[in-house]
Amino acid sequence: MRTWNLAPWFLIVALAVMSTPYGHAIPAFSRQYGTSCTTCHIDFPKLNDFGKAFKDAGFKFPKNDEDFIKVPPVMLGAPAQKEMFPHVIWPGTIPGIPQVGLRFNQFFQYTGRSANNYYNSGSLAGSTPGSVLPPGVPRTDFEPGFFSIFMAGNFGSDIAFWVDDDLSVSGENANGSLGDGYLRFVNIGRLIKLPTDALTLRVGQFELDLPFTQARSINISPYDIYTEANIGVPNPANGSPGVNNISSLQDAGHGVELSGGHLYQGYHYSLAIVDQNTSGNSAAAPNVPSPTGGSAGGVGFFSDSNFKDLYANVSYRFNLEKDETSRKDIQAAGPTGPRDHTYLSVGAFSFYGKSAQRFSGYLSDGETQAALTAHEPFYRVGGDFSFNYRTFNLFGLYMYGHDQDLLLNSGFTGFTPGPQAKFNGGFMEADYLVLPWVMGIMRWDRVQSSADFLNGSGSSNYYSPVGTTRDRITPGVQFLIHANIKTSFEYQFRPQQALTYDSNGNAVNPFRTNTATAALEFVY
Amino acid sequence: MTRNCIAAMALLAALSIAASAGSISGKVSGVTGESVVYVDTIAGKTFPAPSEHPVMDQKGLLFQPHIMVVQVGTTVDFLNSDKVAHNVFWPSLMQGGKKLPGKNLGTWPTGEKRPFKFEQAGVAALLCNVHPEMAGYIVVVPTPYFAKTDKSGDFKIENVPDGQYTVVGWHEGAKNSSKAVTVAGDTKADITVSK
Repeated sequence: MRTWNLAPWFLIVALAVMSTPYGHAIPAFSRQYGTSCTTCHIDFPKLNDFGKAFKDAGFKFPKNDEDFIKVPPVMLGAPAQKEMFPHVIWPGTIPGIPQVGLRFNQFFQYTGRSANNYYNSGSLAGSTPGSVLPPGVPRTDFEPGFFSIFMAGNFGSDIAFWVDDDLSVSGENANGSLGDGYLRFVNIGRLIKLPTDALTLRVGQFELDLPFTQARSINISPYDIYTEANIGVPNPANGSPGVNNISSLQDAGHGVELSGGHLYQGYHYSLAIVDQNTSGNSAAAPNVPSPTGGSAGGVGFFSDSNFKDLYANVSYRFNLEKDETSRKDIQAAGPTGPRDHTYLSVGAFSFYGKSAQRFSGYLSDGETQAALTAHEPFYRVGGDFSFNYRTFNLFGLYMYGHDQDLLLNSGFTGFTPGPQAKFNGGFMEADYLVLPWVMGIMRWDRVQSSADFLNGSGSSNYYSPVGTTRDRITPGVQFLIHANIKTSFEYQFRPQQALTYDSNGNAVNPFRTNTATAALEFVY
Repeated sequence: MTRNCIAAMALLAALSIAASAGSISGKVSGVTGESVVYVDTIAGKTFPAPSEHPVMDQKGLLFQPHIMVVQVGTTVDFLNSDKVAHNVFWPSLMQGGKKLPGKNLGTWPTGEKRPFKFEQAGVAALLCNVHPEMAGYIVVVPTPYFAKTDKSGDFKIENVPDGQYTVVGWHEGAKNSSKAVTVAGDTKADITVSK
């Protein structure tokens, strides 16, 4: 039980430290093109307008790519072979050097004194209500982060590739996992006479085309709304959670994605068809438990992959330069050199899926035991904006989440609609590149969840006071020591929280999980 | 008769000049790669600015040529041959140990040139504020007597009138090295430059 009560703290630490997004700058491209990281990045891995165009083009210079490559590619067939098709394999290329980049980061974290002032509700054996637990989370912590390998490039014919993998996480070699791994067929719309870049196909495992990337964010801590799973809403029949949808928007999808347009101007869209998120769950027997939970195995959940989730994102970016030529170019022509556009982009996104949960029940005869599967529809929908002026970027996102809760009926023979589980929230962030090597960041994250609220009245509302679940302000600053070495600092201000309030409404043993985190990372 | 006399005098004058013009040749040592060697300011002498415009290109994310030598008063045409946007600036014009103000030429479309006239001697370290790895040099020298060495350091400055001069060696990242040289016909003068 002690472990259970401490779990939230470890989760917070994990969110703050271990969920740090993958910051993938691509030194492999630096080697291939003989150019600095800053050609494509503002404070890596954040892309500048040229970097967005480079990505759009399939990890190529948008025009005359061959003029810039310092290491010629290896031909997998002479270009003239194209005339012989279909009697030959369509000729392609592989990069002249392995397109490999490596990255390592490490962290130091400080958590406020009251973070361990966690009220014990008396659920621990041998303890009494109102007592304060001994420190469960170290207040200071050095932590090795990710050692990651990533490879990306272009195979010719506008076929781009990307693979990244965490070789070790937190010093544990076994913890690594594949990040993204895909092939991207750029501008395949040309085959059916569509306008240039109107249609691109991506196949594999990839981060969804989020309005603002989580995997390649500059922030140390992730956006809370992207990590929000919808778990909670007790089943009135047995008190156990009826919604246990562990998927969150930051999860990688397995499937295909159609996209088009550009990230640096005009329209952009994507439509992905992906497997349901099955991470963290298993279809093994313990996940088909007794409906009454407890010693019979509790309530287990998992998602199956028979239904395909849908994700769509559409946006439009207005470049605001007065000069038309400059406005339409990849970068704006400033008086002292090219720079990112002044722009305003607006967008919307939605995700529709079904969360599968299994329960032990009975067939319609009410006697024959059977595993019953509830496919609970859920959706996420939201909007976003981004405004950029010179080196100042203000952007934000709002999202609403909704899960249909299906509960076992009284005879355990089927399901009946229960209370819906909802949440909403988002973030707003201002990035200001004070100097080419100094980035100042101010960010606000907020998530309100009915599920967390209901759970909070029980035992595990560890995020915030009842009624407001996750709310924090996070100032930060980052320094590029070199274009490939960065040190980052952020401080997370969180509201005071408590699990219990006295008869006067005063918080008992209030605590804060304010956290200061420093990171040092390099890519090469 | 008069015409023939003038022609004869002109020929004599030309022969006389040719006879007094020599060259300075030698090797720059102490460094590897291309260097610049030039005759420093000659007291009481000025030289007309050249009319031709050498081109400093930006191509393949490189300044081409990497090092250019021009005489004071020369107008250099800066060209962008790349299909990406570039910028050209130099933070200062280094005149020995003295820093003169630099210049930012801004940015301009692919294929177009932007001229700039170098009115003062010095070294302009060319940079691009979009591609920080790009670097080039324009060495602006006070006389028309200059040469760029080959990669092994060998150089030859042609058509140098006989006389006493100060010859300067410049190399990227090194301190200038100067040396008094008396030119009498073809003259040898090796120069050592150190970083």
